[in-house]
Parts: sequence; C-alpha cells; structure tokens
Amino acid sequence: MAHRTLPGSSASHASCLDLWREKNDQLIQQAKVAQDSGLSPRRQQLAQDALEGLRGLLHSLQGLPAAVSVLPLELTVICNFITLRASLAQGFTEDLAQDIQQGLERVLETQEQLKARLEHGLRGLWDSVLHVSSLLPELLPALHHLAGLQAALWLSTDRLGDLTLLLQTLNVSQSRASEDLLLLLKTWRPPAEESDAPLTLQDAQNLRGVLLTAFAYRQGLQELITGNLPRALSSLHEAASGLCPRPVLVQVYTALGTCLRKMGSPQRALLYLVAALKGESTWGPPLLEASRLYRQLENTAAEIECLELLVEALSVAHIPEAPQLLIEVELLLPRPDPASPLHCGTQSQAKYLLASRCLQTGRAENAAEHYLDLLALLLDGLEPKFSPPPCPRGPCVPEVFLEAAAALIQAGRAQDALTVCEELLSRMSSLRPKRPRLWEDARRGTRELPHCSPWVSAAYLLQGHARVQLGAQKEAISEFSRCLELLFQATPTDKEQGPASSCEQGCTSDVALQQLRAAALISRGLEWVASGQDTKALQDFLLSVQVCPGNQDASFHLLQTLRRLDRRDEATALWRRLEAQTELPQENAAWSLPLYLETCLGWIHPPDRETLLEEFRTSLLETCDL
Amino acid sequence: MAGLAPRVEYLAGFCCPLGGLAAGKPRVLCHGAEVFLSTGSELVYVYDREGRLLIAVYKFPGQVWHLELLALRRALYVLCARSGIYCLSLDQASRSVSRDDKDDRDDQDSEDGQVDELPVPVIPVHPDTCVLPSATLHAFTVLDDVLITLSQGPTQWKVQLFECPCPGEDPRPGGEIGEVELSTCTPPAGSLGEPTAPRFLPVLCCASPPGSRAPHGHPWGSGGVTLEGTLFGLLFGSDASLLESPVIVCGLPDGQLCCVVLKTLVTSRSAPGDPKALVKILHHLEEPVIFIGALRTEPLSEDVEDVYCDCLVALGHHGRTLAIKASWDEAGHLVPELREYSLPGPVLCAAHGRGGRVYHSTPSDLCVVDLAQEVSPWDLTQRDGAPGGLPSLLCPASLSVCSVVTLSVSSRAPEGGAELLALSAKGRLMTCSLDPHSETPHPTRVTSANAGQKIKELLSGIGTVSERVSSLKKAVDQRDKALTCLNEAMNVSCALLSSREGPRPISCTISTSWSRLQLQDVLTATCLLENSSGFSLDRGWALCVQVLRSSRALDLDSAVSAITYTIPVDQLGPGGQREVTLPLGPGEDGALDLPVTVSCALFYSLREVVGGALALTDPFKDPSSNECTPDVLPEQDGVCLPLSEHTVDMLQGLRFPGLAAPHTQALGPLSPARDPIHTFLETCCGPVSQPAGPASLRAKYLPPSVATVKVSAELLRAALGDNHAGVSLCSATLQWLLAENAVADIVRAQALSSIQGVAPDGTDVHLIVREVAVTDLCPAGPIQAMEIQVESSSLANMCRAHHAIIGRLQRLVMEQAARGSSPPDLRLQYLHQIQANHETLLREVQTLRDRLCTEDEASSCATAQRLLQVYRQLRSPSLLLL
Repeated sequence: MAHRTLPGSSASHASCLDLWREKNDQLIQQAKVAQDSGLSPRRQQLAQDALEGLRGLLHSLQGLPAAVSVLPLELTVICNFITLRASLAQGFTEDLAQDIQQGLERVLETQEQLKARLEHGLRGLWDSVLHVSSLLPELLPALHHLAGLQAALWLSTDRLGDLTLLLQTLNVSQSRASEDLLLLLKTWRPPAEESDAPLTLQDAQNLRGVLLTAFAYRQGLQELITGNLPRALSSLHEAASGLCPRPVLVQVYTALGTCLRKMGSPQRALLYLVAALKGESTWGPPLLEASRLYRQLENTAAEIECLELLVEALSVAHIPEAPQLLIEVELLLPRPDPASPLHCGTQSQAKYLLASRCLQTGRAENAAEHYLDLLALLLDGLEPKFSPPPCPRGPCVPEVFLEAAAALIQAGRAQDALTVCEELLSRMSSLRPKRPRLWEDARRGTRELPHCSPWVSAAYLLQGHARVQLGAQKEAISEFSRCLELLFQATPTDKEQGPASSCEQGCTSDVALQQLRAAALISRGLEWVASGQDTKALQDFLLSVQVCPGNQDASFHLLQTLRRLDRRDEATALWRRLEAQTELPQENAAWSLPLYLETCLGWIHPPDRETLLEEFRTSLLETCDL
Repeated sequence: MAGLAPRVEYLAGFCCPLGGLAAGKPRVLCHGAEVFLSTGSELVYVYDREGRLLIAVYKFPGQVWHLELLALRRALYVLCARSGIYCLSLDQASRSVSRDDKDDRDDQDSEDGQVDELPVPVIPVHPDTCVLPSATLHAFTVLDDVLITLSQGPTQWKVQLFECPCPGEDPRPGGEIGEVELSTCTPPAGSLGEPTAPRFLPVLCCASPPGSRAPHGHPWGSGGVTLEGTLFGLLFGSDASLLESPVIVCGLPDGQLCCVVLKTLVTSRSAPGDPKALVKILHHLEEPVIFIGALRTEPLSEDVEDVYCDCLVALGHHGRTLAIKASWDEAGHLVPELREYSLPGPVLCAAHGRGGRVYHSTPSDLCVVDLAQEVSPWDLTQRDGAPGGLPSLLCPASLSVCSVVTLSVSSRAPEGGAELLALSAKGRLMTCSLDPHSETPHPTRVTSANAGQKIKELLSGIGTVSERVSSLKKAVDQRDKALTCLNEAMNVSCALLSSREGPRPISCTISTSWSRLQLQDVLTATCLLENSSGFSLDRGWALCVQVLRSSRALDLDSAVSAITYTIPVDQLGPGGQREVTLPLGPGEDGALDLPVTVSCALFYSLREVVGGALALTDPFKDPSSNECTPDVLPEQDGVCLPLSEHTVDMLQGLRFPGLAAPHTQALGPLSPARDPIHTFLETCCGPVSQPAGPASLRAKYLPPSVATVKVSAELLRAALGDNHAGVSLCSATLQWLLAENAVADIVRAQALSSIQGVAPDGTDVHLIVREVAVTDLCPAGPIQAMEIQVESSSLANMCRAHHAIIGRLQRLVMEQAARGSSPPDLRLQYLHQIQANHETLLREVQTLRDRLCTEDEASSCATAQRLLQVYRQLRSPSLLLL
C-alpha cells in the first residue's frame, strides 16, 4: 500500500485505508491488553470498548461501496469483530451469521454477482464467493479466516452437512472431496497471512487447530454415547493429540477412560484416568469414572475411596478462569449435559452416591455418617450451595431422609434414626394441612395429602424399626399400625393428584407401594410373634401374602406361624405352593425398589429359609410315613 | 375496598422526557422517610418525605432498570442497563444530606415540590464501582445474602445466583453460586447485533416457605414474599418445602411463569443445572408478565403472629391476571386452584398490598381489586366461588389516578388502610392514601360522598354484563350455525343411504388415463363427484379417495396399508360437479402393481363443524374450563358414506404406442422414467451390437409367456348384444375387453382382432382374439368359440392381463347365467377327461415343486424346465366358457 505510487484521489483513499488499518490494529492491541489484565470489570470494560470500536469501524467501512483494495481489511475487521463478540458472549448467536453474510455479499458486490446468488442462502453465497476468490487471490487469507469462523458457527449449531460442503470447497485444490469432516479439517490449509496484514485477534491457523480438536472431541463423545466404541476411541485420540487446553484435555482423558472401560480394558482406562487427574484443574469427572471402574472391578474399597475423594474434590470452590478473548475449544463443545458420562454432578450428589454405595455394600456405620453429613449439607444455611441429586437419576429429598434413617438403624443408632424421621415428619407436616376450622368437614376429616403419604408411612415404618431396636415393643407396634393406616388410605388412583413431580410419581410406583405394605405388615407381625400373640401375627402375615403375592418372605413367616400354631393342613398347602414357587426363577430382582425399602426388607428377611423348607419336608415325610 | 376514599398528595416532580415516562423501567421504593426513585434515565433520586426535599442524585453509566433495597444491610442495589449491578450504601446516601445545608432547600421546594433544576449536586457513580458487571442482565432481586439475577443469553434466559456483594466491597465475579437456563428467548435483532432496549423486562419474585427466614422486614417489602406452607408445597413440590428453600418465580416477557428452587441450583461452569430437573413451568400468561406478587386472602386468626401469604398473583400486560391458591377438590384432596381473570389493560405496573388487594395501573386509571375472602354484604352475588376459594369475578374499583408508571406500597400505612407511593408518567411523585375510616359501615346509608363511587361501580357492572351478553350471543350464534350444518349433513346422509337401488343422488365415477407429469408418464385416476341431490355439500364434507395397491390387496398377511387422499368439498350445490385427479403410479421405484382398487367415500367431520361451537364456552360462567378444550369429540369422529369402488386392472393400464392414436397415445412408449445415460448408451451401442439388457436377452432367448382363454362365441354374442353388429366378433371381443381403455375407439375404427400393447413397466403385451372351433365337446357338432390369447415377455404382466381378462369373463358369465341362457348339450365324458388331465397336471406340479426344494442344482434345472412346461399347459386349458 505504498501511497506515493497512487496518484490523485487514490492517495486520500490509501491514506484513509491506512487510517482504518491503524484503527483496527489499535483496537486489537486494546483487546489484547484487556486479555492480559486478569479478571476485573476494567477488563470487561476494555473489551467491550474494543468491541464497540470494531463495530464503529465496520460501520464506516461498509458505508462505502465495496472495493477490492479495501476488502481484505474489511473482512479482517469482520473476523475480529466476530471473534471478540463470540468470546465475550461465550457463544455464537444467529446475528453473527448475518455479519458473515454481509461480508460475503460485499465480496460479491465487487464482482456484481450479488443478485444471482442470494437465494441460495449462506452456503450458496460461500460457493460463489470462493468461486470469485480464485480471481482475487489477495482476498484468500481473509476469506479463509472468515470461513474458519463460519465453520465454528456451524459446528456449534450442529450444521455438519453445511460444514462438510464448505470445507470441501475450501479444500478443492488439495485433494479429492472426502465426506470425513475430520479428514477435511486436517487437510485444510488456510493460507498464511502476509506480514504486513492488519492485526488479528486469532489467526486462521490457530482457529483451524481449535476446530479440529473441538470436532474430534464432539465426535468422540457422540460415538461414546451411541456406543460405537472403537470409533470413539480413535476420535478421542485425535482430540487428545491436538491443540487442547488443560480442562478440555482432562475431559478427553476421562472420556478415553470411559471408552476403554466399556471396551473391557480397565488397566488402560486407569492409565488415562491417572493422566486426567494430573491435569490439576477438575478432578470430579475422572474420580467419578474411576469409582465406576473400580465398581466394575468389584474393588469396593477403592471405589469408596474414589467417591470420598470425589466429595472432597467437589467441595473445593471452582474459580473460573477468565475466558480468553478468542474462539476457544470450550466455546465449540456441546453444552454440558447431565446425561453425559462426563457429568460428575455436585458435592451433594457425590455425597449421596458415596452414602448409598456404603449402605449397599454393607458399610452401615460409614453410610450413616455420610448420610448425616449429606443432610447437614442439604439443610444448613440459606445460601444454596448444594443441590439434591437430580430427579431422573437419584432419589428426591424425602428419600434421602428415609435412607439416612435406614442407615442409622442398620448401624445400630436407633435414637438418631428416630430424630431423622421426626425431622422428616415435621417438615412434611405443612404438606398435610389441617383443614381450616371454618370449613372442617366431618366426612372428609383430616386426610393426609395423598402424594406424600408413602414417604410419611415409610417414615413411620422406619420409626417402628428404630423402636424395635430400642426394645420398645408397644411403641413399635403402634408406629407400624400408623404406617399401615396411612398406606391403606392412599389408593393407587390417588397418585395423579397433586403437583407431584416426575420423581415423586416414580417413587410411589405400585410395586413399591405393595412392598411397603407387605414390609409394614410383616414388621408388625414379627412384633406380635415376639410378644407371643401368634394369632394376631398370623392375621398380619396372611394379609401381607395377599397384599403382595410376590413377596416370598411373607409366605415364609406365615408358614412358620402356621407351624407354630399347629395348623398342619394349611401349612402343608402353603408349603407346596412355596416349593412350586422356589423352583420358578425369582422375579423380584427385576423391580428396583427404593434403597430404604430394600434395606428394610433385609431386616425382616427370614434368616433360614432353606433349613425351614428342609425341616418341613422331613417332618411332612415323617407324618406321611406314620 | 368500595369505601376506600383515596387521598392523593403530590410530593415532587422529576424530569421526564417528552411524551412522558414509559412504563416498565421507572421504580420507586421507600424505606422509612426516604424514597428512592428512578425514572428510567441514568439518575437515581433519593428523596426525603419528612423534609420534603431531594437528598441526593446519583448518575449511573447507563439507564437504570431496577432498584432493590436490602434494609438489613442498609444497601441499595441498582441495575444499570448493559453495565451491571451497583451497590450504594444507604448511610452514604443520607450522609450527603448532612453535607448540604438544609435551609436553602426548604424555600425552593415549598412552592410546588418541583425539583427539575436539580439543586442537589449530581454524584456520578463510576463504572469501576460496579459490583456485578454484566451486559446482559435484565432483572435481579436480593434475598438476604443472595443476589438472584436473570440475564438474557444468546438463546436462553439464565438465572444466576451470587453471593450478595456488600456496598463498597470489591467486585467478586467468582462469587457465583449457581445457574440454570430457562426457556428459549428471542433476542431482538438489531443491525450488527446492536442491542436495543427491550420494551418489557422480566419480573422476579422470591417466595420463601414459612420459617425459612429470620422474621425481619415486612412480608411485602423487598426481598420477596413468604408463602403458607400448603401453597408453597403445592406450587413448588415437596423437595422445596423439605429443604425449606426459597424459590424464585420468574415472569418472562413471553408470558411464561416459571420457578426455580434456589437450594437446588448448582455451582460452577462445568455443571450448570439441568433445566429439566430444576425449572418448573407454573403457567403461561401469553402476554408479557408485568407483576408477580402474593397476598393474604383469608382472614387472619387472632393468635397467629406471622402473616403468610396464601395466594400467588401474576398480572400480564393486557390485563390477564392469574391467581393461585391451595384448595380442595371434591374428593377432599389438596389441589392448587388456578383462576384467570381479565382486568382492563394495558397494565403499566402493579403492586400488592395488605388484605388481598392488588393495585394496578392503566393509562386511564389506577384500580384496586380485592381477592380477599371476606364476604362483604355488597357483592354477595359475586362471591359464588367455593368456600375458601378465589372469587369468580374481580371488580376493579377506581382510585381516580391516571397513568401511574410505577407503584410501591408504603409500609407506613394506617391500620386497615394503605398508602401507595406512585410516580406518574408526567414525572410526579405522589402518595395515595386509602383511609379505611372513611368507609361507610353500612351500604344502605348512601351519602353523597360515596354515591359517585357507587354509580361508577354500577356502571362498571353494566359494562361487564353487556360484555358477557355479547359473548353469550356469539356462542349461541355459533351453535345455531353448527346445528344447521348438522341438519344438512343428516339430509345428505339419509338421501345417500336410502337409495340403494338405482342411481344414487350423489355419485362418484372413476376413470383412468395416462398423462405425463414431470418427465414421467403416470397413470391417473379421475374421480368425478356429481351432486344430483337437492342438498348442497357444505363445510365439513370431504371426499376421501382410498387407493389400495394390489401387492397389498392380494397379500393377506401384510397389514393392508393404503393411501387415502382427503379432499375437502367446499360448497358443492345441487347439480354441481367436482373433479379430482390422483396419480396411481408408477411411484418412485418405477413399479405400478396392477390391479389397483380406488374407492371413494364422503366424510363428514363432526369436529370441524361442531367442535368450534363446543369449544366456545362461556368465559364468565366457568373460567377454569378455558384451559381444557372439551374432549367430547375424539379426533377422528365423523360420518363416512361410501360412494363407489373401482378396480384399475392391466387392461386399463395398457398403452398402445403402435397405434396412431389421439392425444394420450402420443406420449410415447418409454413410459417408466429411464436413465438418460442408459438411453444414450443404448443408442450408441444399438447399431453395432444387440441390446444387452436382461429384458432383451429374455426376449431373444425365452419364448414369451402365453395364456389362452376360450369362450363360446354364442355366449359372447349374447353378451355383447347388438352393439357390435357389423364388426367381426373377434374385433368386438377385443373392443369389449379394452372398453375402459382409451384405445377402444381405434379398435372399433380399425376393426382389429389383435393388438400389441405396452405394460406400465415397458414390456410388451400382445392380445390376440381368434375364432376357433371346438369339436370334441358337444355331441351336436363343433362349437364356435373365441380364443383370447395373451402373450408377454414378462410373466408377471402376462398374469396380470390374464387375471384382468378372467375377471371380465367371470362377470360376463354371471350376468348371462342370471339371464337364464342355457348351454348346449355337452359330452360329459370329455369334460371329465379334461378335468382328470388337469388334476394330473396339478399333482405333477406339486411333486415337481417338492422335488425342487430337495434337489441339487443340476437336476433342479431340469425340474424347473419341466415345471414351466406344466404351467404352460395349465394356462392353455382346452376348456371352453359357455
């Protein structure tokens, strides 16, 4: 742009061009200063000012008719503007596409081809612009840069078809058209910018690296979720080998770990997870993945340890670094999805996982402690630092209470369990309102709110068991009776009432309700047995068999009681039925019951089913022989 | 409310732009004697009510959109457009008073309270003192030590939680606690993405369960509302009430009302909350939400100290009002009672006060409505709602103040009354006191003071009634119209169903022809619907044409799937005709499986005609039913009247390019879409080598498949009658066979007895009719018979044509049998012989087919050959149709 060679009016034009260029360079410098000034409102202000400056510059550039000599600068300014805007907003918006479109139209304007191509949309526009650009080689670097931004935009909005076609057009000189986007990105060589070109925030080469990594990771994750493991592995390897900021690398390594675990190579998976943990930025996902790995390897101690570390890791407040004023890999990644294998949740979710695994693996004391910690986390303080487990996967808050109580009983801390249950009942009390005095209706009475009654009754059931442990038989029986009273009030058809969330509906499935009733009946029956009132026990056991025919424990208790009462014929009939049933495969496993209920069912499990059956068989044979 | 006499007092005037202040952004708050006020410009004023003077003016770097006061921390939070949230200490604000001399202020304000000149120095607030910089913030609220913000992302609204920054503290953007994204939003598109100021800002309201917060501040001040446990649990679920967590209710400009349980919001960028689990949509107002608040509608019992709200209210811009209360259904279950009201709009702003009152302002008036339960003797008739429920109708009472752009209910209210702090569009700050003591104890004693009020109320009542009358009238009209339509439909149905014999009053004739559509020849069916009845087919009637393909029709195993075209018949009067043309095929795969069955029926949609009348319920009588349209009619309900059925077989689908034919035949023989390259190659190779396709190979090496049918000449002659006099019987037969084909005329004209046609897939089909004499059959001598022979290189096409011929002959024989013509004597023995022959052949087929399954390739070839031969023999029976 040596302006002395340009005569007359062009001289002013050239100097104008120089002016604009200087302005661009100065704004970019300003943005880079903002970039380096750490997290502060000052930085935000500087970047915002730079953005506004670029916007103004673009306005003045586009106010004039398009000219080939100015276009490289104009396109560069557009690129800088888009880069800064997207990074400030941490996302791409539709009007960025408009900015790109405007730039392309300006290119076509110089060739007077605008009208012919407008109806083909952005893709058609790109086709014709790239066609034109073969006539204007000086535009190529800026156009490739703009194409990179277009690629980023399309990648982030998942328009992969358009992206493939764009890259095919860009690559046309180098190789045959390929359908593989990864290959296309790899073979794309944006021409290097000249040394005297206007400054850019991020050059096309860098952008290409970012695109490559982001796409490989996206694809790998996608394949991982759809279960195409070998392809996922290769894509993720590609992502790991590319230009990869540390937090993304941790994610990639964790995804590799998940992939290898699912492919059955736990040792290699472990290596990647260790590498991910060395990333020093986010420990959550690799630790959670490691716990899954150890669970698969049935190494419970290591699994629990991983979960403990996970809880600790998540308690460290995550201080976000200031995002760079560039298009970064993170910007192009899909939105974090709770369903993704890399989602590690929050501290309370991890704590819940830890507590429930402890309870499931028979570490009742630890489980009780963890549950108490979790409740403290959930209930203390107003500041909402903690989240309950998300509904679709985990239980809801009332169930956490119930599981905590169950764990405490399991650990022999009946008094504490009572406290937890009382707390739950008192907190639920507002949902079981007394009717206003004015409109009190004898017919309706003080009915419970139907949708919360399974939890309330479960709380009474657990209280009953706590009383049993404390040796207070009478109170225990009355607790069980209250539980049963509530349970038989709530008919299954009541369930759609009330604003029950999906979770609440899930918790009160018919099967769970049946099992809950059976558990309460058996529990009360056992207490009658203990106090020697076999007839009452018999009644409860009979009822429990009727209420839940699938529950074999009920039948066993009934059998024992019948035998004790010497009601031989009924016992024999029941025994025959049981014999027939035991030969059938157990179907209980198919139902997933709430953990507290499973724990509770464990307490009332008859200890020696096989011996009982055996004894009965021999005694029956003896009587036959006689 | 009726007796509340407003007493308006002007306090001060503030700068306002030309045309007055726009609603939405101005705010007024009061704290003790101090009033904090913003008019939507960059300025925030602090005004002292006791001293009646302006204490301070702050100038912010951008337009001020929202103010919140956190009395506990003595801090004022200010949302500045495209800049962020600033925090001012209240002490700092009052300190500025002491700096000024009070004396020279007094005489200035004494005249009119006009403070346009800004005698107080404007204190600029530096952008660096922003406590939460963000360019996308649209609304915020503070709750004790949490700052809840709503910002507009590129595509979605986002709720974020921050630790509340203290005044003068360093900004800590790291203090974010949690975030979740709400529903999608459409950001206004400016040129080059330039942000434009939104017309409506979202509104936030923080609802807490009882007992979760320390009892400081009054329940309807800044910092949200406290709801009764029952309503809270019903609205936000058991998790929220168990956690005793506050809930943020957001009202968005698109009308959505959604809520987020604050304690469930999670932290960090890596794990933003799952909107599906965290965000619950309460309602959709379908107009911009202007206000969300809560009320106490039930009378307080004496012993209860804490006042908890039992009703959540939201107001839309056009006056749609939603109230939610806990209530009981018939079964005694606790359910949320949602009620929508319509208040006069457009609503500029609103506020909630004590005792179930909602104040809302329109450009013409400031009104108050009462949602409270207490049954006043005045409007007993209007309170016919369920006990404990919400009133079925809201009657706004005017306070005679117009165009108030922002409102605030002062805490300094007298017992039972209320004091409103309002800013008018003209920039005037005023107080509006509602004194309960002026209320008349008994409505019978009408004094001159409340007579005007009463007349106004009566007038408004009349207005509502007339509105209701017009809406009811509309509903009646619509029902009348639907009934007329139904009656007409009944007539048509009766006419059609009663005329089983003879010509039907409404008929549909179906004919087929070939036409060229987009480079491809397509067999089209033309359905001509004729209405020769005395009734007209109106709205609601549709012609349904079902096209059933043979591959499906013959295959009993596959579920019959047919294409049904539904064409609305729009106004077909008596004597009218409507023609509908449908493509039958070949489809995209080039195949056309004949025969195709086309059946027509008339369908009358009840939903279309009656549904509208049913959906229109009386909006006044039962507002709750507005949400659920009646499900009386299932989606498919209607009346279906079959009209006609027509089978398109091979004989109708044949084309005869060899014959010089008018219009349709000129279409040329290459019927199925052919690959142009293929054509090109063929033309290139043609002269040198033989065509190499499998079809031509077959044509060359395989003899064409042949089938014959013999029919006695007498039978045919009798059947064809006199129509064919003068033509040879052969030609007449051929003409009869192709009667429904366009070529029939040519056959007649040229007296053809054999014809070469093209099947839809392009293979040749040859039809030959010749006279033969059958000698052995009849003792009386040889019988004259016609032999119809079908030849085609494609076995499938031959079969189709054969099937079509047999079908026609069958019909012919049936008709003749009905007429009672007697066959001549036959030699039974000969017939037996033929039957026996056929049975052996069939048996052989069976064994050959069995063998074919078990044999190896070499011998199976021979078997297959033999099988083909047998089939051929079977296809040419020596049997004669008599």
